[in-house]
Amino acid sequence: MYQRRRARVLLAVLTLVALILITIDVRSGDSGLLHGTRGVATAVLQPVQDGFGVLIRPFGVAASSVRELFGIRAENEVLRRQVEALSERRNVVADLERENRELRRLLDMAERNDFDTVAARVVSLAPSTFEWTVTIDAGVDDGVERDMAVIGASGLVGRVVQVTATSSRVLLAIDPNFFAAARAARTGETGLVEGRGSEPMVMRLLDPQADVEPGDEIVTSAYQGGVFPAGIPLGVVADAGDPDSRLTREATILPYVDFTRVHHVLVVVGTPIAVVPPLTGTPDVDFDAPDVDRFRDPSDDDATGEVPDGLDALPDDETDADDGGETTDPAP
Amino acid sequence: MIARIVALAAVLLVALVTQTVLFPLLPTAWFRPDVLLLVVVAVALADGPFPAMRVGFAAGLLTDLLVLVAPLGIATLVLTVVGYVVGALRPYLSPSSVSAPLAVALVTGGAATAAYGTLAMLLGDDRFGARTLVEAAFGVAVYNALIAPLVLRPVAALLERFPRTSASQEA
Repeated sequence: MYQRRRARVLLAVLTLVALILITIDVRSGDSGLLHGTRGVATAVLQPVQDGFGVLIRPFGVAASSVRELFGIRAENEVLRRQVEALSERRNVVADLERENRELRRLLDMAERNDFDTVAARVVSLAPSTFEWTVTIDAGVDDGVERDMAVIGASGLVGRVVQVTATSSRVLLAIDPNFFAAARAARTGETGLVEGRGSEPMVMRLLDPQADVEPGDEIVTSAYQGGVFPAGIPLGVVADAGDPDSRLTREATILPYVDFTRVHHVLVVVGTPIAVVPPLTGTPDVDFDAPDVDRFRDPSDDDATGEVPDGLDALPDDETDADDGGETTDPAP
Repeated sequence: MIARIVALAAVLLVALVTQTVLFPLLPTAWFRPDVLLLVVVAVALADGPFPAMRVGFAAGLLTDLLVLVAPLGIATLVLTVVGYVVGALRPYLSPSSVSAPLAVALVTGGAATAAYGTLAMLLGDDRFGARTLVEAAFGVAVYNALIAPLVLRPVAALLERFPRTSASQEA
């Protein structure tokens, strides 16, 4: 009886301490003492996690490989068809690249992929089931700052949200707190891409009548207050949403990056581009869109526009129409 | 006593890095086992509510410090309560039972995840909905039940090797 009562007293004390911690953290926000303590904890535990990761990573990769073996046969078949499709497109791509170079010179635009980057390794994931963040082994000492873009081989991975001297925390693009200004590479239609955790990402299109179709590639945009460099691939449209919607139209986006397999990333450390203020409060401007490819032979589309079976996830046009250059593959 | 504290601290550290470094490499989708929770359950089943609450408090604080968005203290509160509840139930569980620890791991995995998510939502964390909460609770519960023997037995063996002193048992 005495033991039980003392256990209840200890429970009450520890519960009170926990409630005080919650209250302090909620009230102080991002600037409080506890927020700094989290940064210290990350900095202290990062070397431990890194060292442990070096030891156990081979075992984890081996275990993962066993499962992947079962999917290799099917993946091989899909890749074979992709090779055939890409071979067909090779000649078209060469022409598009030449055209792209001319347009760049014409518009005096900076090379899109001329990013100044720092390579980093993913050390660990967040311990919480409800948080989609990773810790990387690059920090202030490497030139990393808060809000910098983090990219992978396939596209945008996320942005830096916490920095210590030797490590940083990255909010993944699929976290529900993440959003990025984006546009469809084929048509230039703009919108806001949001993470949805374990669900596919969502793009809120500014224009409900926007010309966006399944298979369109979505890339980051510097328009509408975007903080990311333009043209970083985000994903491919899986469902274009309801164009008859009177409110915001939402398209479902399948991200290129396989966020369960992010091991190495690049932090874009170059000078952030000038942010273009959103066009809010300004009167509508009427303009006549120029006729592009007025003399294009429609029969050319028949020769190059077919996508083999099983390649539905591939965008119809893998080059960015107005920023050009990126050719990406969706995550398997 | 110091050796026991050091041993438990080492167990918590290994559990943390296993949860944040090893399991992300395995094909478990986004829902991963909560190894720190299993350590708290193991201590509660072996030594009762007193040490379980202390370990739960430490494990929760460790989790909270490595979480970025959710308010600090939620995991501390949840794991402390789990330590107390499981420790209080210990007299009613057969020590030789094989299924009882698995059932406890299953139930605590789901309940603790649901409690953590619900508290986070009540405190303004709107990153996930009820559906994700249910899926996560179910996923963590199943994973925890599956790996429970790999955690509960070694921790119990460690606690046998470093038993509580008579003074601490009175406390």
